[in-house]
Amino acid sequence: MTYAEKQRLMRDRAAALIEDGIVAYIIGWRETRFPDKTAVFFARDKDDAERLVWNEYAVPLTAKYMTGDRWPDGKIGVFARGCDSKAINRLISDNQIERENVYIIGLPCEGKSDDRCLTCRQKDPVAYDELLWEPDSASPTVAGRGRFFRTEEVEALGTQERFDYWEDVYSRCIRCYACRNICPVCTCRECYVDMHRTGFQGKRQDTAENRVFGVTRAFHVGDRCIECGECERACPMGLPILGQTQKIIKTVERLAGDYESGMSPDKENFLGKFDKDDKDAFM
Amino acid sequence: MAIDSEPKIVAFCCNWCTYTGADLAGLNRMKYPENVRVIRVPCSGRVNPQFILRAFRRGADGVMVCGCHPGDCHYSTGNYFTRRRFMLMRELLEFNGIDPRRFHARWISGSEAAKFRDTVTEVTEMIRGLGK
Amino acid sequence: MSKTGVFICHCGTNIASALDVYKVAEAAKAIPDVSYAAEYKYMCSEPGQQLILDAIKEQGLKRIVIAACSPRMHEITFRKMLKKSGVNEYLLEIANIREQDSWVHEDTGKATEKAIDLVRMAVAKVQKNEPLKTSFIPVTKRALVIGGGIAGIQAALDIADAGHDVVLLEREPSIGGRMAMLDKTFPTLDCSACISTPKMVDVSAHPNITLMTSCEVESVSGYIGNFKVAIRKKAKYVNHDICTGCGLCEEKCPVKTDSAFNRGLSKRPAIYKLFPQAVPAKPVIDKESCIKIKSGKCGLCEKICPLGCIDYNDEDRLVEEEFGAIVLATGYKLAEWQSMYDEYGAGRFPDVIDGLQFERLVNASGPTEGRITRPSDGKEPKTVVIVKCVGSRDIKKGHPYCSRACCMYAAKHAHQILEKIPGSRVFIFYIDVRTPGKGYEEFYDKTRKDGAVYVRGRVSRIYKEGDHIVCQGEDSLLGRQVRVNADLVVLETAMEPSEGSAELLGLLGCAKDEDGWIQEAHPKLRPVETQVGGVFLAGVCQGPKDIPDTVAQASASAAKAIGLLNKDEMETSPMIASVAEDKCSGCGACEPICPYKAITLERIPDREPGTGRKIERPAARVNAGLCQGCGACTVACRTGAIDLLGFRNNQILQEVDALWP
Repeated sequence: MTYAEKQRLMRDRAAALIEDGIVAYIIGWRETRFPDKTAVFFARDKDDAERLVWNEYAVPLTAKYMTGDRWPDGKIGVFARGCDSKAINRLISDNQIERENVYIIGLPCEGKSDDRCLTCRQKDPVAYDELLWEPDSASPTVAGRGRFFRTEEVEALGTQERFDYWEDVYSRCIRCYACRNICPVCTCRECYVDMHRTGFQGKRQDTAENRVFGVTRAFHVGDRCIECGECERACPMGLPILGQTQKIIKTVERLAGDYESGMSPDKENFLGKFDKDDKDAFM
Repeated sequence: MAIDSEPKIVAFCCNWCTYTGADLAGLNRMKYPENVRVIRVPCSGRVNPQFILRAFRRGADGVMVCGCHPGDCHYSTGNYFTRRRFMLMRELLEFNGIDPRRFHARWISGSEAAKFRDTVTEVTEMIRGLGK
Repeated sequence: MSKTGVFICHCGTNIASALDVYKVAEAAKAIPDVSYAAEYKYMCSEPGQQLILDAIKEQGLKRIVIAACSPRMHEITFRKMLKKSGVNEYLLEIANIREQDSWVHEDTGKATEKAIDLVRMAVAKVQKNEPLKTSFIPVTKRALVIGGGIAGIQAALDIADAGHDVVLLEREPSIGGRMAMLDKTFPTLDCSACISTPKMVDVSAHPNITLMTSCEVESVSGYIGNFKVAIRKKAKYVNHDICTGCGLCEEKCPVKTDSAFNRGLSKRPAIYKLFPQAVPAKPVIDKESCIKIKSGKCGLCEKICPLGCIDYNDEDRLVEEEFGAIVLATGYKLAEWQSMYDEYGAGRFPDVIDGLQFERLVNASGPTEGRITRPSDGKEPKTVVIVKCVGSRDIKKGHPYCSRACCMYAAKHAHQILEKIPGSRVFIFYIDVRTPGKGYEEFYDKTRKDGAVYVRGRVSRIYKEGDHIVCQGEDSLLGRQVRVNADLVVLETAMEPSEGSAELLGLLGCAKDEDGWIQEAHPKLRPVETQVGGVFLAGVCQGPKDIPDTVAQASASAAKAIGLLNKDEMETSPMIASVAEDKCSGCGACEPICPYKAITLERIPDREPGTGRKIERPAARVNAGLCQGCGACTVACRTGAIDLLGFRNNQILQEVDALWP
């Protein structure tokens, strides 16, 4: 199927779901004034449905946008690729949305024109109410590069070089918190950075504080990171920060075996349980 | 840096094991370097990895997190969570260019006064070697 | 300026000789938050405390830092002292400049410098301390004892004798437990029933004890002093309020099914008492084997009962009861050796029996009226082999632990065989003989003198050859293979946690050790407490033990329960976790961390941002009665919405920051 054919299916299905009252609205993508960018879009009626697009630039994650409407009047329809569906599972297990409030239209993905898709391991949705077209069994993953290549590139450096690497990265960070805002697992009512009375995050705008933020963010996202790469995509300074959170996932894998967050909506996080025989070489 | 050349080490110690062990080291008049500053917490599970970030941010030359041995936690399971959290944090710190010799997590029981002394001595020496 | 007072103790010369207390006091005065600093020879002494109290009054101090010995030493002393002043006792921090400074360092200058740092940290922390209040929770003055074996019986009697109401809960139709199955008890050889049945009767007659047989725990909520327990009263099909226990129904019942009490060595009817001296001495119907309940036919017992006690439509009922304390006395079961030891015949040979079966055989009220006979043909065995450590001390096939009582009852079994069957021979295969107890070694010695032959080694194979059961094993002392042609083989099998104990522990939130026994709060110092406040343990449920140890432990746990129930209300530490609900996103990350199940996710009412519409959202809630103040939950909270009072995030951060002023 071509993009155009799939887009037709999407528009028709969206219109039908809205018309039939199955969903109150549907979250998808629309065109922008940039030919190579789309934006997340809330289609509320038949006319809106005609504005939905599906092309290689339909990159942004739809899932996080549901958190703006936690007590919806009707079901929220959402178009979900593999990454979106993992995010939805995450939002459910973090008690941020309720499954029954969501109607998931699964879209087996082709891989988009974005760096983050290079390491995608899950093109096909892992949770959905319906699939709009059959998965392409010939290429179940995009995975042009190894899952942790970003992390590994930094790991290959020496201690001081790594220190300098991040010093350089975070010297450019403007602490706009776009990475936090876009992240599907950053769903605190109030982010720790804004909890000034607790004071985990200093207010000063310098590299050292930026680094505290960077490491803390990685730890908070931690074992829940679905590796969607929205943080990196949203960063206005183009900072390579996905490798930071993926470092945690990679460590979890090393300690506990295969690990991929968001594959199911169950509530078991690596840090929420323990094994008496956990490794502790350093203790 | 010449004025303040002695390294400063922050040690987060659980009340029931390591803090008690440190007290016992005192009772036994054991000697160890003055560089360590102990912060008492009820359980090593109370130690937020962000405390470690703060200590490094302020200028700590080394940070230690110490608690009861696995299986001996006063609160039965707190230190098992400590272990997972700090296995991740240790690697993340190393990934960010913090020398792993500057961060230590150790199990020291209430009776292991000598282990407390030895650990503090060893870590202090190690960090002296690394420089400020 | 927060008007903080700093008081530096010389501790005689303990502190003052190793560091410069005057310099520390000077440095303390220079800290911006400190409005007063003083040093004194002994701060903990009467005049020392008075000095602090006077300073609080005269200087209007609001927060106190005492630089002295370890807070583990005198924190409580100084808190008590503050209760007499206007300052809340939690607005206090101790700088440990003795155990962790003056006693461990030799360089006075550096030790002084460190002391100043420690004072600075304490001053910084105390700025963020909040006044906390000890709260009191009422105590329900009733105890629940779960398990009606000798442990539960003893605990129930002790608690009841102290004047408290007790519910003794037993899932079988009678109390008595394993001890009721035993014939004689080592080393004194007094008859088990003769010493346990009077206690059973005491239980039933005690005005403070409510006996609940055929009952099981369905759910538990609440916390120390205030447990709510839902109890399933299983259908008995016999109205015990009017039944006199005449026994006519038991005689008439046409059903014959295996008697579990006699370990399958005899039959019993479908309407039955567990054993003749059962308490309560009234029958119940086993619905699995009753013809009337299964198929609607029969109904003989109903016809014969002169009082009309039978009710085939009886149903399970759930009741909820409140308790202040719970004693677990759930005992043990014997290991299913048949599935563990294929080489012992896996249960194919009827004349290979376990220790409890032997107890029933040798018991005068048992299936053979006390004659030791072979289950297969009723013949008297002349050669008996006793195998110890079947399932115990066997990492490969069974359990790593020692079941502790088997060495002694194996000796007892040998003694009984040699006594009852003239000319008989007994061989005991053993790994070690363990006899730690009063009169135990002497008893073992006597058994050997009686003629029991002890063979050191494991039996590797048991098989049938003609009329004999052949036991083959190695005599590891002589280093050669041994074969014994036995008529009867008794396997002294391992004790295991009783059926359903894991589920019960789950309901209570108690931990179990790797072998499934209940984990005591501390193996040495809190051996009869569990990790859940107000839940105590007694007997084998904590690990294998014999009757004297079980009874001793039962009385110990009763003492603990009595200590709790004697209080009208209980003081709880205010240093517990607390949730800022407005910040909590309800993600639930804290919930699985809590070892005490003190955190629950609740749906709290709120208003939707923007619209103001009434909504409900999830948020964590801490049960103050369950929380023990470990603070492990706080780290799971990314926002910091759940925080530990007394050790709040910002208090600890202040301490860190104070090191680099």
